[in-house]
Amino acid sequence: MALPTSFDMVFAPTTRIVSVVRRFVSSLYERILEDAELSSQLALVTHELMENAVKYNIDDETSLRVSVTPQSESLSDMTVTIRTRNRATPENIRSAQRIITRVKEAQDPFLFYQELMMSSVMVPEGSGLGLARIRAETELTIDFNIDGDSIEIVAQTQLRHGGEA
Amino acid sequence: MIEVHVGELHAVAKSGEGSMTLSLVGTADTSAESALNELLGRLHGELQKTGVRVVVVDLHELEFMNSSCFKSFITWIVAVRRLPEDQHYKIRFRPNAAMHWQKRSLHAICYFGGDLVSIES
Repeated sequence: MALPTSFDMVFAPTTRIVSVVRRFVSSLYERILEDAELSSQLALVTHELMENAVKYNIDDETSLRVSVTPQSESLSDMTVTIRTRNRATPENIRSAQRIITRVKEAQDPFLFYQELMMSSVMVPEGSGLGLARIRAETELTIDFNIDGDSIEIVAQTQLRHGGEA
Repeated sequence: MIEVHVGELHAVAKSGEGSMTLSLVGTADTSAESALNELLGRLHGELQKTGVRVVVVDLHELEFMNSSCFKSFITWIVAVRRLPEDQHYKIRFRPNAAMHWQKRSLHAICYFGGDLVSIES
């Protein structure tokens, strides 16, 4: 296990690169965490966050930062953090803020996801399904930071004993 | 036969004896969303015309599906649910255990679909 590991990537906002990055981080996670299922979850999170960052970006740069860092000397406890950052319109920043707050506050992420699935049928775009999916289908929490017209979305999980979240 | 090849997704729907199989190969992401919506709409119409009662969705070679394409399936399930009960048909997913994301995603869609949706073991 090679720890700590982190990388930053800055890319033009095109969806064509998202699957390429998902495959890359999936291989990276598998090598570092030695857990195929968890790596698959982290790849899903990376994909969903990157697609959102690309879709709502108003700039020519979108960034992704992935870090796997030990919490103790033993390296058995680790934190995995996936961040995307992009500039967005005030309306889209408010919308992301509203959806992520609802996802965070949902007492049962799975039931919230089910409710959102139903309501998403009536919403042409911006339903927040990808963010709710992250919380319901993976072990990662989700949060955001806003700095002017820039929004950073942060997904994170703590791992114990060789990959168990 | 209905066939779509868009972005990294190749989708083919073929009818057999009393059933229909939709095979998805590759990656269903943003670039495939609109084509997948259209394909599922056409498939829904075809299933109503032919009276087929089971459609198998083969995900064996589907590497990944994003939430936008996932939503296309949700819309499809809702469309089936809105049909008169005697016209309902079942959607049965054929997963690939090696594609780990499928396990939780299919659990979520199966819960959503109730008795209309099942997963092959």
